[in-house]
Amino acid sequence: MSDTNPQKILARDPHPNPPPLAGEGVIASPPPQAGARATQGRVRALDARATPAMRASEAIPTYYDLPALKASLYGWKVSAYMFVAGLAGSAQIIAAAADLIDPDGNRGTVRHGRYVAAAGAALGAPLLILDLRTPQRFFNMLRIFRLTSPMSIGTYALTGFGGLSGLLAAGQLLHDRGIAPAAIARASKYVEVPAAILGMGMSTYTGALLTATSTPLWAAAPRLIPAAFGASAMASAAGLLSLAARNGAGDTLRRIERIASVADLAALAALSKGLRREGIRTRSDAVPAKIAAAAPLLAPLAVRLGIRRAPAAAAAASILGGFLLRHLLLRAGNRSAERPRDYFRFARPR
Amino acid sequence: MTVHPRAREYPQSMLPGMIPDEAELTAGTKIAPGRRYGFFTDTSLCIGCKACEVACKEWNLLPADSLGLRGTSYDNTGDLGATTWRHVHFVEHIGDGHGGRVTEMAPFQSNWLMMSDVCKHCSPAPCLEACPTGAIFRTEFDTVVVQQDICNGCGYCMPACPFGVVEVSLDDGKAHKCTLCYDRLKGGLEPACAKACPTESIRFGELGELHKLADNRLGELRDQGVGTAYLYGTPDGPGHAGGLRELNAFFLLTAPPETYNLPEAPTRPAGRTGPALAAGMATMAALTAAALSLFAAAKGGGG
Repeated sequence: MSDTNPQKILARDPHPNPPPLAGEGVIASPPPQAGARATQGRVRALDARATPAMRASEAIPTYYDLPALKASLYGWKVSAYMFVAGLAGSAQIIAAAADLIDPDGNRGTVRHGRYVAAAGAALGAPLLILDLRTPQRFFNMLRIFRLTSPMSIGTYALTGFGGLSGLLAAGQLLHDRGIAPAAIARASKYVEVPAAILGMGMSTYTGALLTATSTPLWAAAPRLIPAAFGASAMASAAGLLSLAARNGAGDTLRRIERIASVADLAALAALSKGLRREGIRTRSDAVPAKIAAAAPLLAPLAVRLGIRRAPAAAAAASILGGFLLRHLLLRAGNRSAERPRDYFRFARPR
Repeated sequence: MTVHPRAREYPQSMLPGMIPDEAELTAGTKIAPGRRYGFFTDTSLCIGCKACEVACKEWNLLPADSLGLRGTSYDNTGDLGATTWRHVHFVEHIGDGHGGRVTEMAPFQSNWLMMSDVCKHCSPAPCLEACPTGAIFRTEFDTVVVQQDICNGCGYCMPACPFGVVEVSLDDGKAHKCTLCYDRLKGGLEPACAKACPTESIRFGELGELHKLADNRLGELRDQGVGTAYLYGTPDGPGHAGGLRELNAFFLLTAPPETYNLPEAPTRPAGRTGPALAAGMATMAALTAAALSLFAAAKGGGG
């Protein structure tokens, strides 16, 4: 019986938001009731926040308000991957920077950074494969290389980053066991720079992936989404590594976390403004991510007020914020694809 | 349209086999690899019979979908998707703009706009440019097809498409869309929807010929007083191909594109790949520089 349920058979709910009756049906429909009028009042109150771009385009016709686009099928697995990829990529960058400047003073940071990078790559690949609708064909991703497709570029970035991060983590393990430490330290210097450059790609290409679509909320700000993703990835990684740092090493990591949080906040503020200008409704999707990004900046004040655990709490907020930013933006984008007016406002001649 | 002279060679009701180059008889065009083919869908001729939808489903063995009433118009199909590759829009212009019903109608299609929508086979094609497996490719007929034995269902083509056409089916985990009857073209047959169309609203042919046909039809309509008619998706259309060069399946419309659920100026998503990656890498380079200087400061301070 359940097999004949159309909602189970179809990829999407065929009637996501049944629009009001139009055409002949209008004549027969009863006048709106008191409750309905109250709802309309609330809708108008929401519309009062509409930007000039939105109000000017109220005249845009739609086809019975049906979506003009297909929303992506991406859900929590993709958000989790984008978060883990950013965390791993930025952890590798921090480890490489620490190792290049002062390997003796940052032993813990370098070790933890390399392990986080390798673990992130190892966790990210299965998340991506499980999100495929035909996962047994995951290797078809490696059939071609396509510069127009951030997903193709990302596939190779992940493959390369995973390989180099695995090498670095394995070297670290041997080094810590006292097996040829000098040779491994020397060899790691050659591997960590390309790994860190790929780590930059891992931290941001997922933003480019969202942007290179027709989904209006993602496509309207092609530069700001990758910038926000990168900054939040750096804040999350610095926060995570600071939790494991001993003595003074944590102070440097917390400074990196704060600088990245400032960049994240700036990118998110510009993103909200840009989307409003384009007439794309965002509701309050970025607010939790903004709060999380502000936490590391308030932590020093909290410490001064006597809250000793504030830096650790701020680090946790950075990590959670990195995931929330991606997950909320993903969901908000999927919803924007279902709103034909948002898309038509975006896809107008310029 | 006159009967093709070759048609007289096949007078029987039951044909002994396939007619070689059948498209020459039915569409006036001989199909050869290397040439560019497409659809010209003239909505001013569409009567909303849905013969194209049915012919497409029958030829391509597509299952039924959208069981139920939408309560909006005579269109219960709703949109294109994994199992719907032709979709007839029914736009009812029946209100007087003030909540009432018009008492007089212009003698043009009784205020109905019908339009048979289909994959636009864009050039360049955003779904193809997004596809990381190469499953989506451009055929020798300049059409865009998803190879079912390669697609791994990553779903990136779905948000990439500027027209909401391609869809991953959860039944088989592959992306599906109109193939412009790739199999039929290979056999010298015109696509099923175009052959089934009883009003020649759907014309199949070589792009150059179709453009000429469309220009003539546009002139004809303007002469008849349909000043609102225009072409959507032709190479030098007024912004109606947007960031895309042209659409191999293009349309003659008589109302704003949004009325038919089409964007006024579709964008090319791949155009954002470069700027997005560059902005991301620049951000990371700046943050890495900051990290390097902070580590250096800590070393100086500690030592």
